[in-house]
Amino acid sequence: MRLNRFNFKVGGVLLASALVSAACGSASSSASSSSASAAPSEITVGTLYAGSGSFADQSLPEYDGLKFWVSHENSKGGVYVAAYKKRIPVKLVAYNDQSSPATAATLYDQLVTQNKVNIFVSDFGSVLTAPAATIAEEHHMVLFDQSGTGTNFFTPNNPYIVLADLPTSALWPKPLVQFLIAKKINKVALVYGSNDFDGSQDTTIVNGLKAAGITPVYNQAIPTTTSSYGTTISAVAATHPDAVIELGYANNDIAFLSNLASSGTHFKMVFTVFPGQLQQLLEKNVGESGLAYTYTYAAPPLISYNNVNFGMGTTAFEAAFQKQYPGPVNAPEIYGYHTGLTIQLALNHASSISQLSLRSALMAESGKITTLEGLFKLNSEGAQVGELLPVAQLMPTQGNTNTAVQIVYPSSQATASAVYPAP
Amino acid sequence: MRSEEKLGDIPAKSGDRQMTDKGQSLRGLGSLLKRRNLKDLLAVVVPVVIFSLAPHFYSNEILLISIMIYVALAEGVNIIYGFTGYLPFGYVGFYGVGAYATSLAILDFNLPPEVSIIVGGAISALVALVLMPLLRLKGSYFAIATLAAAEALYAIIGNPSLKSITQGPYGINIGSVYSSGGSYVVAVVLLGLSILTVIAVKRSKLGLALRAIKNDPVSASLSGVNVVVERTKAWLISAAIAGLAGGVFAWTITIFYPSAVFDISISVFAIVFALFGGVGTTMGPVIGAVVLYGLYSYVGVTQPQYFQLIFGAIIVVFVLFVPKGIVGLLGTAINRLGSLGQRQRG
Amino acid sequence: MLFEYAVVAGVLFGLFYAFLSIGLNLVFGVQRIVNLAHGDVIMIGGFASWELYYTYHISPLLSVVLVIPPTVLAGFIIYRLIDGPLSRAQDPEMLSLILFFGVSQILEALVTIFLGNNQRSIPDSSLVHGPVHFLGQSYPGVWWIVAGASIPMVGLVILYLYRTKLGTATRAIMADPIEAAAVGIDVRKVSAITFGVGLAITASVGAIAPFMIGGVDPSEGVNLTILAFAVIVIGSLGNIGGTVVGGLIFGVAFELAQLYLPSWSSLIPYVLLLAVLLFKPSGVLGKRVRSA
Repeated sequence: MRLNRFNFKVGGVLLASALVSAACGSASSSASSSSASAAPSEITVGTLYAGSGSFADQSLPEYDGLKFWVSHENSKGGVYVAAYKKRIPVKLVAYNDQSSPATAATLYDQLVTQNKVNIFVSDFGSVLTAPAATIAEEHHMVLFDQSGTGTNFFTPNNPYIVLADLPTSALWPKPLVQFLIAKKINKVALVYGSNDFDGSQDTTIVNGLKAAGITPVYNQAIPTTTSSYGTTISAVAATHPDAVIELGYANNDIAFLSNLASSGTHFKMVFTVFPGQLQQLLEKNVGESGLAYTYTYAAPPLISYNNVNFGMGTTAFEAAFQKQYPGPVNAPEIYGYHTGLTIQLALNHASSISQLSLRSALMAESGKITTLEGLFKLNSEGAQVGELLPVAQLMPTQGNTNTAVQIVYPSSQATASAVYPAP
Repeated sequence: MRSEEKLGDIPAKSGDRQMTDKGQSLRGLGSLLKRRNLKDLLAVVVPVVIFSLAPHFYSNEILLISIMIYVALAEGVNIIYGFTGYLPFGYVGFYGVGAYATSLAILDFNLPPEVSIIVGGAISALVALVLMPLLRLKGSYFAIATLAAAEALYAIIGNPSLKSITQGPYGINIGSVYSSGGSYVVAVVLLGLSILTVIAVKRSKLGLALRAIKNDPVSASLSGVNVVVERTKAWLISAAIAGLAGGVFAWTITIFYPSAVFDISISVFAIVFALFGGVGTTMGPVIGAVVLYGLYSYVGVTQPQYFQLIFGAIIVVFVLFVPKGIVGLLGTAINRLGSLGQRQRG
Repeated sequence: MLFEYAVVAGVLFGLFYAFLSIGLNLVFGVQRIVNLAHGDVIMIGGFASWELYYTYHISPLLSVVLVIPPTVLAGFIIYRLIDGPLSRAQDPEMLSLILFFGVSQILEALVTIFLGNNQRSIPDSSLVHGPVHFLGQSYPGVWWIVAGASIPMVGLVILYLYRTKLGTATRAIMADPIEAAAVGIDVRKVSAITFGVGLAITASVGAIAPFMIGGVDPSEGVNLTILAFAVIVIGSLGNIGGTVVGGLIFGVAFELAQLYLPSWSSLIPYVLLLAVLLFKPSGVLGKRVRSA
């Protein structure tokens, strides 16, 4: 009895003291950066990358792209900062979150509170971007969201986020849906991973088809960890679809396409996400024949933009990038470089390097800029709405080992007409 | 065991004896209690004060909150593993449930975050009640069963079919109630509460009963201890702490996906920290979490490219060279010093 | 039709799962070591098989055997290093869990540093061309090859345990290490060899696992470890024969779930595992009841 009362009292006192002291702590730490009039000696860009774990395969190339932009600008004496009317060298600070959102949260805070970076850039993908969104808003830092396309991040009252690359994932399938409707493909089967990225695409497709009076013959979520699709493929085949759309992460797409190739099942149209993002990886793992005549989103460099008014065009970029990083260029590398371009765009035009003027500079340039990712256009919430991804088909070329990727929709960008049904 | 005795805790083996011998050594017990009061008071006050003041010196509040969350989780593991020997490998399940219950209480019922976190703790305890039959298992069976339960909870909460209830895989956004000061305060409260709970359990009849059960369940039940009820109490308390910790994390991070709160490495970290510090003690898990998570973050910031390698190596080295945990190591050292001193005096 | 397909696929995968889990069970059975790095050993076997295929054009089926000797040796040495500290611990079973979590981190990090993050696969054509037709349906040919390779490999482990002197000693230690020592068995040596054999059989399955799980990448370990644990617990922890039953139950249940309840398919194995544990805690084939 005595013990219990003692504990209760101690607890009360402690909780009260904790409340008081913690409240003091947070009150004093809320003051944030002040605008200095003298030009800084360097512009620090802070970001995270996933050196291991499930997001590493795309986070690392994206990080390479950003590093390339930094070294490219620094070779010219730095990035041009309009606020000081001169070039200032860029310093990149980067930590490894190992694909863990919890670790990412502490490291993001490290970038903001300890390194006091000027430019705050998130890691690849929505899962690792999520912890940055709140930190950015709290510390009034504009988050340069590279490829976190989750719709959750963009709200009308939050000016502290800009989606540098790619439209939000819900916008990705828009051209695909139009393609299906235009082709009068009415029996559509959908298999998607239970995650935000794939689920939001599925929702867009289902709603888009519904508007045209089409109900998918098969529409099932499967766990993101799925690594064998044999039974799913046979279940899908039993519905005799005219098109099969599998939305997954890269490893899902690889497993799905390999299983499909080895099962001997044939569909008239197969669409997956990642051949258009990581063509070499998919080719290496699935093989030429497994990819033949399948469809994908044509992300850069599959779709090239050489007629640009900001930064390098696709061909110039590929040549310059390959000097530092030999081998074929993939989409995440371009996203990383494009993130750099977005930073450059903001610094080139902002009247000061305060966070909100960086953002308003971007908003002012939105819609006027064409880069190697296409039209750069933000909506009022900072989400990218330009840079739509056309539908592409992977055509096997005779005698040559390389697959030719042809844009098949929309017709304004098309380089070939779709081979449907696939032979 | 020996190290524990010397640190002034109730010796596990002589628990019953102590009660019967009460009359004979009342004076000794009195001074023991006083010393213990002071020690236990310090065990709570020191961490709470340090973490309350820390933001004045170090502004990475999320790191500080993460350490406090891991202290709480390690103490939670301590309560179930340290006192009963049941290792909850799937402990993260309660953490995830707590994070989700907290968020849904905020989103669906507009409860204030502080209240919602308590709801999170309560719902986690409720889930633990449902999972009570797992306590019939022992050793690795129990460890793996809890892991399966955690994975099952993840599969349910993150399922697209439950989008209308949990938002499935699309994640949670409770940005509307975000408050950096607020979440820091609750983290400090959580820290104090978790240490306090361990002390309370240790001093209560429950702690005595649990130790008796851990040593010898059969003779404990013969002497009138209800094995099932006592173990369940520890299980529920432990789950509630994880639920509260999950709630604090949710309020801190505000935007998250199910994979972030059902990450199995959260379990592993909490267990590693508890063992590193020393289970069955009050301060072990606190020291373990602070030292190891601090080290983890330090390596992450200074050696990003060899992050995983170095942390893995630290764990291996610790198991091979300090298998009894830091507090165990300190205990042994104090023992040696003590016996040296006695010899000199004698 | 679809039902039959799922059951056949489940059986094929089940045999593979048995092969995939048997090493974990062996390692656990001998000295109660909870090998959280199990999946990482599979991953390393996969990378070894990949390298052997692309550098020396060695068939992955041959790699299944080739990876065994070096891993037995490595396992033997590792066991000698960890045996002392673990046996002095209060709760060696749980301490081993932590130790091998650390080992798993190290292995994943090393592979990432030296071989990169990208997923790699070996073309199906290295094993078989075209699908296999069975009962009027066509299945990926590699499933049959891998399942076919799993049977002799699992069989060899069982033969080793029941038909060799070393195996008999191993089983004696599994049953009761103290008694085994009393009848003159060198517990330390036999345990070290068994640990090596357990790791070797695990690396061995890794050589053909890429055909069943879509490739090999450094981060795949955790999921494979969890899967293997589910299989051996369903079968019976410490009972080698039970692993086969566990693998088959897991495989068929998973494929049926993928057919009828796709979005819940990751839940089904765990529910199954919990059900088995609660209603027959010793596993489907277990004899000893371990609940208190």
